[in-house]
Amino acid sequence: MIDRVHLREIDWILTALVVVNSLVGVLLIYSATSAGGGAQALKQLLWLGAGFAVFFLTISIDYKVWMAFAPYIFGLFLLFMAGLFVFGRTVAGSRSWIRIASVGGQPSEIAKIVVVLLLARLFSEYRAPYATTGMIALSLAVVGAPIGLILLQPDFGTAMCFLPILFGALVLAGLRRKTVIVFLVGALALGAIGWGFVLKDYQKKRIETVINPAQDPRGAGYHVRQSQIAIGSGGLTGKGFLKGTQSGLKFLPARHTDFIFAVLGEEFGFFGVFVVLGLYFAMLARMFKSVGRSRDRAGIYITFLAASVIAFQFLVNILMIVGLLPITGIPIPLLSYGGSSLFATYFAVGLIVNVKMRRFANV
Amino acid sequence: MSDRGIYEDFTLVLRRARAVFISVGIVAALALVAYWKIQILDYQKYESMAVDNRTREIILPAPRAIITDRTGAVVLADNKAAFKASFIRDNTRDQAGSIRRIADLLGLDPAVVSERVDKYKSLAGFQPIVVKDNLELGDVARIEARKNDMPELIVETEPRRIYPHNTVGSHILGYLQEADQKDLDAHPDLLRPGDMIGKVGIEGQYNNRIAGQEGKVVEIVDSLGRRQNELSRNDPQPGPKLTLTIDYELQVKAEELLAGREGSIVALDPKTGEVLALASYPTFDPNKFISRFTPEEWQALVQNPDNPLLNRALQGLYSPGSLFKTVMGIAALATGATTPETTIYCGGVVEIYDAPRHCWNEAGHGALTLRDAIRYSCNIYFYQLGRRIPIDTIARYAGLMGLGRKTDIDIPGEKDGLVPSTEWKKTIRKEEWYPGETISVAIGQGPLQTTPLQIAAMTARLANRGKGIRPHLLLGESGEPPAETSSEIPRGAFDQVIEGMWRSVNEGGTGKEAFVENFQACGKTGSTQTISRETAERIAEGVKIKKTHSWFTGFAPRNDPRIVVTVLVEYGGGGGATAAPIAGQLFAFYKQKHDRSRTPSGN
Repeated sequence: MIDRVHLREIDWILTALVVVNSLVGVLLIYSATSAGGGAQALKQLLWLGAGFAVFFLTISIDYKVWMAFAPYIFGLFLLFMAGLFVFGRTVAGSRSWIRIASVGGQPSEIAKIVVVLLLARLFSEYRAPYATTGMIALSLAVVGAPIGLILLQPDFGTAMCFLPILFGALVLAGLRRKTVIVFLVGALALGAIGWGFVLKDYQKKRIETVINPAQDPRGAGYHVRQSQIAIGSGGLTGKGFLKGTQSGLKFLPARHTDFIFAVLGEEFGFFGVFVVLGLYFAMLARMFKSVGRSRDRAGIYITFLAASVIAFQFLVNILMIVGLLPITGIPIPLLSYGGSSLFATYFAVGLIVNVKMRRFANV
Repeated sequence: MSDRGIYEDFTLVLRRARAVFISVGIVAALALVAYWKIQILDYQKYESMAVDNRTREIILPAPRAIITDRTGAVVLADNKAAFKASFIRDNTRDQAGSIRRIADLLGLDPAVVSERVDKYKSLAGFQPIVVKDNLELGDVARIEARKNDMPELIVETEPRRIYPHNTVGSHILGYLQEADQKDLDAHPDLLRPGDMIGKVGIEGQYNNRIAGQEGKVVEIVDSLGRRQNELSRNDPQPGPKLTLTIDYELQVKAEELLAGREGSIVALDPKTGEVLALASYPTFDPNKFISRFTPEEWQALVQNPDNPLLNRALQGLYSPGSLFKTVMGIAALATGATTPETTIYCGGVVEIYDAPRHCWNEAGHGALTLRDAIRYSCNIYFYQLGRRIPIDTIARYAGLMGLGRKTDIDIPGEKDGLVPSTEWKKTIRKEEWYPGETISVAIGQGPLQTTPLQIAAMTARLANRGKGIRPHLLLGESGEPPAETSSEIPRGAFDQVIEGMWRSVNEGGTGKEAFVENFQACGKTGSTQTISRETAERIAEGVKIKKTHSWFTGFAPRNDPRIVVTVLVEYGGGGGATAAPIAGQLFAFYKQKHDRSRTPSGN
């Protein structure tokens, strides 16, 4: 299924950027966990190796085949999640203040990419300039099912990560102003209902904390405050590798997962933030650029949606840890510790590379 | 299907994808601005927050200065190591749960603990709040055993004050109490909530000297407050030792003599003003309530009707009674209202301003000079002086003798006393002064009020023939003595009064019970009949049998005064019967002690 021509067309620049960002992640995970021996960094490195295998497996199979498989994997996922719910087994930590990304997210991480494939398949033959109500309803159903099941877990952060897929697809398909307004009103209504009936008290507290972090510095605001202190005290050049006090003395929560970027900010300062943000943005830019190098509409959707998911998680994470967004358990792909997240990201990157290397129709 | 894409136009879709990417870029740029703000603009703020986070200052309280008697050999106030348990709110997320666990572990009432934590809720969260002090070793072991799962509860050591001789000198030494809000506001730089400070007595007066210089340890802690290592250490500096003027043995003797009564004894050195003994009864054991947590014992002391916390020597106000006759004698001789050889006839009763005035001796004393009037404490003689000397003149001489104002002793709480005058009556009572009142004042009755300490200081001035002293308790710090009176009172006046006082003790006068062989003591007795409302209530309750307060003040030896003794026994009856023998025993004790130390040992 893969031949020399395809190999020649692999986007090595994107691959290299992905690997570099992954290695930055390993470095930061090492620092974040060095007090406990740093075993997680080694584990992440092993997963990284496995991630390469996922990557090569992904590109070696035509993305059209992956799309064909997507509904089955999706069905399995829904069954699995429903089963979890029926048997009432709450995954440890999902109720806790900071979700440990590698526990709650395992099947959902892969499910995100499967939903990407599914929506790409849905819109692959769609040529109208704007999304019709039927298409919107269909996309809502496809994305809504996993979101609903994950919310029941309950894992607000992971559920949120499905939203960029839905909106990404609809934006590409085209939304009329009227539709946007309907969405906004609907979102507001949903928000109001959610506030009143769905959100748990601790989640509401987190949202309130963004608006006024000082109101409860030792409760819900504690993690944001500690994270802000870590980042702010890094200054221009940081305290030096392994020398972060906020992280080393464990003031910083979930150091190797959700708050990994705060470790970067503390130990490498604004300079480090600038460089890593640059590297990450370069990677994202390369992905978005790849959108235009697709043979067909499905490829455009795959590339665009995969890039959007990664960009969304990155931006939400780096904004939430400085207190500009509520704290929800959303890790940064490649940088945060966690095998399933890493595999899912390499799966996504593999699909992007896959689409680009098979852009020539006659092969 | 595979070739269809070649002909498709994706411009619209790609334009939308591009718009999304540009949005991503904009958000990323905004994020960078946010990081710039936090890391560059607000760096100082967050850096200091990080330092506060990871460093903990532990205050090492300095042991309070040791307090000794005048020889330096008898330690009156000392320290021993003690443990206290403190709660650090920053180290727990569940304050209510923590309080429950702590109360359970230390056998406390959770309501008391939480009330205490509430009291100090304005403190920074990392500041320990003492929840139990004077811990048993068992408590310490229990806390240490749970160190890792209860980082919010810590054991701190503190030097704890002890008074080895319990009640001896307690009114001099004072006691410690937890600093209250007023103290904290007054010394925000020196005091922290939970600090124990001296409240009265020497502990209160010299608190800043006694407290010494606290030490400080700065250490690095992790997020659970566990110590990682030490950054710096300053050891505490205890305050320099305080030596009092108190003669320990005399103090013990004085307290023994008062035991079972209510009253006060002051003994001082008339040359220097050094207070040799200062006793007030009933008394208290300051060891019993040096704790932040035994309100019952404290309440019991405060509510005790006998008022053991009152230092009667300087806070008890008593009518001086016949002691005031010494002042009258001085005033009369100085103003010429009488002369040493003038005699006045006492027939037991005399009519003055249309009212009969009685001598205590109904048979009468016959014709008396001032000397003998003092010796026998004749009332008629002084009634007659009261007719000759206007009240304001009396007040002036009383003032010269140190009455009506503080002696300025170096422990807090001293009362002023009161010497009435026409002006006083006009401004305070809004009435005119009646000449009849002067007659009462002449024998020490009326609105006159004095403290035993004032009487002792006055007696020292008598003994010194005019030279006043400032009574003090800190050895070597005599302070500024009060003004000389030599220009106003001739030395001869003192000699006459002293002669009367000598006769009172040595020649069968009212003070004869104070006689000590070869000690040449001079003294004056007093018995006051004034019944205050409070006393009247007690009588109504039948708690006290109706009796008068019993006074004696004197000094010895006559020509080289070394000791002044003032005794007041509340409801003690006649001064000659109760106070004079007590003074006599104290004179004897003092004489014996000093004779012993003068004669070489081993006869």
